Amino acid sequence: MSPMELLPEPYYLPVGDEIDVFEAAFNARLPVLMKGPTGCGKTRFVEHMAWRLQQSGKLTADPSLLTISCHEDLTATDLVGRYLLKGDETVWQDGPLTRSVRSGAICYLDEVVEARKDTTVLIHSLSDHRRLLPIDKTGELVTAHPDFLLVMSYNPGYQSVLKDLKPSTRQRFVSIEFDYPAFAQEAEIIAHESAIDQEMAERLATIAERVRNLRDHGFEEGVSTRLLIYTGQLIGQGIAPRRAGELAITTAITDDRIVQDAVRDIIDVILP
Amino acid sequence: MIELADVEGSLALFAEGLAGRYLHLKTLTEHNANPIDARLTQQSMDSLYLPDSLPNGNRSDYLVLVLEQIGYRECGTFNFDYARFCELSGFLQPTPKPHTQPDRDSDFTRLFARFEDPVVARRLFLLLEALRISTHIKRAYPGAAHYLQHHNANLRAQFSAHRTRLDLLQHRVWGDLHALPGLEASVLPLTIRQSSVYTTAEATCQLYPFFHHERDLLLEELNAEVSGTEWMQREARLEDWKDDQEDLARQMLAVEILQAEDALLREGMDLAGDTRDTSQTLNSLKNEREALSRRIEMERAALRHAVGSPRGQARSFRYDEWNYLERRYIRRWCRLYEERIVPEAAANVDDLRRVIRQWRSKVRSRLAQLRPLGMQRVSRVADGDELDLTAVLEARQDIRAGISPDDRTYSRRERVQRDICAAFLVDLSASTDDPIEPPQPMPYEDDDEIPNLRDPYHEPLELAPVEEPRKIIDVQREAMLVMASALDVLGDSFGIYGFSGYGHDCVEFFVAKEPDESLNGRTLSAIAAMQPKRSTRMGPAIRHTVAKLMAAGQSLKLLIVLSDGFPQDCDYGPRRGEHEYGVEDTAKALAEAAAKGIETFCITVDRSGHDYLKRMCPDARYLVIEDIEDLPDALTKVYTTLTLK
Repeated sequence: MSPMELLPEPYYLPVGDEIDVFEAAFNARLPVLMKGPTGCGKTRFVEHMAWRLQQSGKLTADPSLLTISCHEDLTATDLVGRYLLKGDETVWQDGPLTRSVRSGAICYLDEVVEARKDTTVLIHSLSDHRRLLPIDKTGELVTAHPDFLLVMSYNPGYQSVLKDLKPSTRQRFVSIEFDYPAFAQEAEIIAHESAIDQEMAERLATIAERVRNLRDHGFEEGVSTRLLIYTGQLIGQGIAPRRAGELAITTAITDDRIVQDAVRDIIDVILP
Repeated sequence: MIELADVEGSLALFAEGLAGRYLHLKTLTEHNANPIDARLTQQSMDSLYLPDSLPNGNRSDYLVLVLEQIGYRECGTFNFDYARFCELSGFLQPTPKPHTQPDRDSDFTRLFARFEDPVVARRLFLLLEALRISTHIKRAYPGAAHYLQHHNANLRAQFSAHRTRLDLLQHRVWGDLHALPGLEASVLPLTIRQSSVYTTAEATCQLYPFFHHERDLLLEELNAEVSGTEWMQREARLEDWKDDQEDLARQMLAVEILQAEDALLREGMDLAGDTRDTSQTLNSLKNEREALSRRIEMERAALRHAVGSPRGQARSFRYDEWNYLERRYIRRWCRLYEERIVPEAAANVDDLRRVIRQWRSKVRSRLAQLRPLGMQRVSRVADGDELDLTAVLEARQDIRAGISPDDRTYSRRERVQRDICAAFLVDLSASTDDPIEPPQPMPYEDDDEIPNLRDPYHEPLELAPVEEPRKIIDVQREAMLVMASALDVLGDSFGIYGFSGYGHDCVEFFVAKEPDESLNGRTLSAIAAMQPKRSTRMGPAIRHTVAKLMAAGQSLKLLIVLSDGFPQDCDYGPRRGEHEYGVEDTAKALAEAAAKGIETFCITVDRSGHDYLKRMCPDARYLVIEDIEDLPDALTKVYTTLTLK
């Protein structure tokens, strides 16, 4: 048995046609951009798709997915690679992007707007028909492995005025929009991921629905599915439901006392 | 003891979260119509009315009151349709009594009119519906069940005397299961999940004979003509009518298109056309729509009279006011409605841009001295226009020492946001509609020259086209446009607001541009759409702007007030026409702003402004402009001085 077959399937509940779209994009080797609020399942979706494509034999690299969490100090060098000193000599070390380009894995740039501008320009030649990665420091021009796929995610609601993707970058990708799942699906996800009973999961989904009505007040996106799962997991570990809500929802989404009071009241009246 | 003022901030958010739309939280005293069907709460389409204070209550009692009101919305109480009820219950629709106009009555009123004693029927219906709602609350909000129980126990203790069966039913609603034990079977349908407002109407019909003889025992207060629920149903029905109106418009468009296609077809086939059929349809649709429009207008007027102007688009806030006579704040005295200025779709932006162009060079040259602050050299970056020598040295040292060097050895100039937020608050009182120069009376040299307009043989007067005189508001708007475009280039964040209003419970605050919005065609048109309105209650408008500035979070905060006279409003002080109260309140509001670290400045175009501005503005932070056309220039000067401090 090869080690690949041992990996368990990452749980993902589709909310639309995103699985078909991603598969189609992969078959045509079109880079994918996933837009959506934090904690709605973008990263989980990529993990699921990498597993799925690997299962179907379309993706042979191991690991099949390389995830890079972008931050404001992430430079092109961090992605491509650098010379390291080893004993008396300098040795070239591939960065994660170069590694996935060579091996034919899915390279996933999480929260790409956080990265510095020079990194986004770097991926231009990779994300059109050329599929090339130029490495300035070694003078190498790497042609991407046939299986290589570039996937990025970003959150348009978050700091959208200051940080936004340039149209020249954005228009190289197939965009899939994500949002928080509908009530019944969200309840199902919470129940599955945190192993609490269906009724409690539905209560948590109701809380989410109501708290998201307050998106304009101090927190931009409401409570994420991820936070609801955390709440469910705390409840599953024996923490009292209201206390779990306080820990994983109220204090996690806002620092504004008045908004916290309102969220606390909403949780209080909805939980049994 | 708890006051609404203590909890209204979070309670409004609680209500918004549960209802999914913003609702103004108001005190019962702010309600125009008679609050009769709830001893404690009331609602209209855009507001919840709650008691000012609860002497025996706490925070959770307010939660229960809000939940009850939202429960009515969730359970579809106000979607009641009398015709539908008649259809469902198999009753014949009764002919309306001659003195009632069916469309001017709520559908509930028409239901109650079926009964011999409508007052008893109304009271019975409202109690049964309250019973249904409280069951719904317990089911949907289990966490609130014990609050509700506690709240109801208080009410039972407070109104312990029961003289009538309706009083007993009220106690039943408040959770006393021993009251009216014989009702079990009749109220059971109200407690199931599938129940609707029609279930309650049905139960009212069934139970009426059991209560109908209680008319004389009912309290005086219950004899009021119409209850809040009935007004609310009329508001909901008005929304339906508006949908119907849109439907009719769509149908008319479809028929018109059909007609046009028909005509084309006939032309092509060279047939003598007869389009009478579609014309008739179109005419009947037109008539129907006109009748509906008239009905909507009448209903809207009736509702405005009963429950006040609709404020669905606004958010409201309450602010304290300084009463200098008693040396104390009147708590939460002013209600301020914040609304966005929605410019007309066809607004011409070109004219605005022309005004901006005219002033551009002058304003920019003055603001240019602020610009260098906008750029800063950032060191230790991976690429840039210069080597960062310190970083290079460290890298060389690292290499010598056998450690991987940091390759961020460059520096570059980057634009850094100036950490400033400015708010411009423009007085939109009615007096800004005055011309800058009063019109000169036309001198007539000789009385004979005065034309006799009644003389039929007199030549018609040739009137020269009168040019609209320039008004104060025109200059204020232009100054704001020029300032906005200049600040946009500079990169400072700024908000532009207008204010007016009438009375302490209706201060209007208009948002043309928020600091986090970019300056585009829409915001420019919004600035240009600022119009003279009513009075000048400056205190609450300043307090609201201060709250906005504090929320924006920049380190340097500016508040610049543009006005054309002293603060005045209908109830701004003990006597109308006395300005001291308004001046003192405004002075206090400006002092509060200064205490919060906000730089304030007042600019007025009122030439007699020196005497009151001296008292109103701290540290003589004011400017009286002699020639109003200097306003854009003065504004730039003030802005530069304040931000370079």
